[in-house]
Amino acid sequence: MASSRQIELAAATWLARRDVGDWSVAEQDALDAWLAESTAHRVAFLRLDSAWREAGRLQALGAGLAGDEVPARGRWTQPAAAEDVFVVSRMRRRAAQASMPWRWLGAAVAALVLALVGTAAWYHAGNEPLATYATAVGQLSEVPLTDGSHATLSSDSQVQVAWSRGERHIDLMHGEAFFAVAKNPGRPFVVQAGGRQVVAVGTRFSVRRDGSRLRVVVTEGVVRLEPADADGGGSSSTLLPAGSVALMDGSGLLVRSLPVAQAEHYLDWRSGYVSFHNTPLATAVSEMNRYNARKIVVADPAIAGIPLGGNFRWSNTDAFVNLLVAGFPVRAEPRGDQVLLYAR
Amino acid sequence: MVGRMDDTLDAWFIREILVHEAALMRLLQRTWRHRDDVHDLRQEVYVRVYEAAGKSRPTQPKAFLFTTARHLMTDRLRRSRVVAIDAVGDLDALNVLVDELSPERRLDGRQILKRLAEAFDRLPARCREVVWMRKVQELPQKAVAAQLQITEKTVEKQVAKGIRLLADHFYGERFATRVPARSEPTLSVSPHGQQQTD
Repeated sequence: MASSRQIELAAATWLARRDVGDWSVAEQDALDAWLAESTAHRVAFLRLDSAWREAGRLQALGAGLAGDEVPARGRWTQPAAAEDVFVVSRMRRRAAQASMPWRWLGAAVAALVLALVGTAAWYHAGNEPLATYATAVGQLSEVPLTDGSHATLSSDSQVQVAWSRGERHIDLMHGEAFFAVAKNPGRPFVVQAGGRQVVAVGTRFSVRRDGSRLRVVVTEGVVRLEPADADGGGSSSTLLPAGSVALMDGSGLLVRSLPVAQAEHYLDWRSGYVSFHNTPLATAVSEMNRYNARKIVVADPAIAGIPLGGNFRWSNTDAFVNLLVAGFPVRAEPRGDQVLLYAR
Repeated sequence: MVGRMDDTLDAWFIREILVHEAALMRLLQRTWRHRDDVHDLRQEVYVRVYEAAGKSRPTQPKAFLFTTARHLMTDRLRRSRVVAIDAVGDLDALNVLVDELSPERRLDGRQILKRLAEAFDRLPARCREVVWMRKVQELPQKAVAAQLQITEKTVEKQVAKGIRLLADHFYGERFATRVPARSEPTLSVSPHGQQQTD
């Protein structure tokens, strides 16, 4: 039997391999098989995986640092006045107890503050006016943003862009948008959707908002999900690495970790397709309906749960309905600008 | 968080069990004479806790973790060749130490970042460079390899090493609060005896 150290090494090797970025479904299957082999594998992997996710927070240390240099050791401790930046009384008491006090973080915050102060004049003149972009049902829109980032608006979606000197702020009013974010650690990219916000430095992700429900899909890098009123890095924030599909509603947050290639299927709408995999008919239908003014209605609950899979062109309601009728015990009945589906 | 089926068990384990790793390590190190075994003991404790929680989630996760650790050490003592009768009594007495070992604290975001920064600075030089470039700057592996003039395989190995060392510090506070070895260990166990349980 492998020793605990060998198991830990194997788990770390899996993680490092997965981090490279060209992770395939076959590799995920192999990892799943390894994890299923023993609980020892699973707990070792869980432990390292969660610590490595947490390590994403180190990006806060990189925020505002100029250049590509790896900072010298202990540079977080150097500025003597750093503590004054934010250490308040309660923290000061704790800091006195800790062997390595708050200088670390103080320095990180100080670096950020300095970076912001230093660049304030720069951004001051460059503040963007408020701009609103919207799409109609069935329409997609590519929106190049002035910082070099790109947004892709899905059908029936609306965003408001409000750049400020400290942050690139986008309000997702409704619908879904995909963002390819230009790297700028000193000026985070924040997408707010209702009471939540998603914070990125340089990454690719999408946010979908249906009323109070939110879905975040990350296909590159790491984003931070947090309440919109958070000061950043609070305990209720969640880091979502590439491959995450996060679903939120009023009651809570569910995060699935998928191979990136699989997570990308959630974004197939950008190329004109929706992709289903064992998806209940009712869910697939409501997905198709996002993109079409002519709505499909599942008129019979008996067929709502039929699982279906495949790629469908979302602009072609008729083809989708015809495939359903051909492949499943379903009949379709056009009525006005709707298509009703019944059991056959 | 790893698999598809039991997100909640995994999340529970991270939230309720891993956060007590530093205290668990202190318990194991104080109690078990042979430091080399502690890594293995920790894994075995986690396995038992995870499997038990899969059947039924303990209502007092921290107490359950420490009880599991004590039972495990007792089991190993019984199976080992050298058993100090009074040692088992000492194990029970460790109950009262739990809170001393594990002052209750949930870290907030700033504390977590501080601990990560400490852990990061304690990485060996090359490992530290690689972790910075991959995790903070998010440079592709190929770019890191080119810039540091090492192979991509080496980059990957350094990342794997960084993950292990960061986890040890982040959960185990490996470098921060090491409990000095007692000159008189609570238990005296033959190393060969313990090997039987592996």
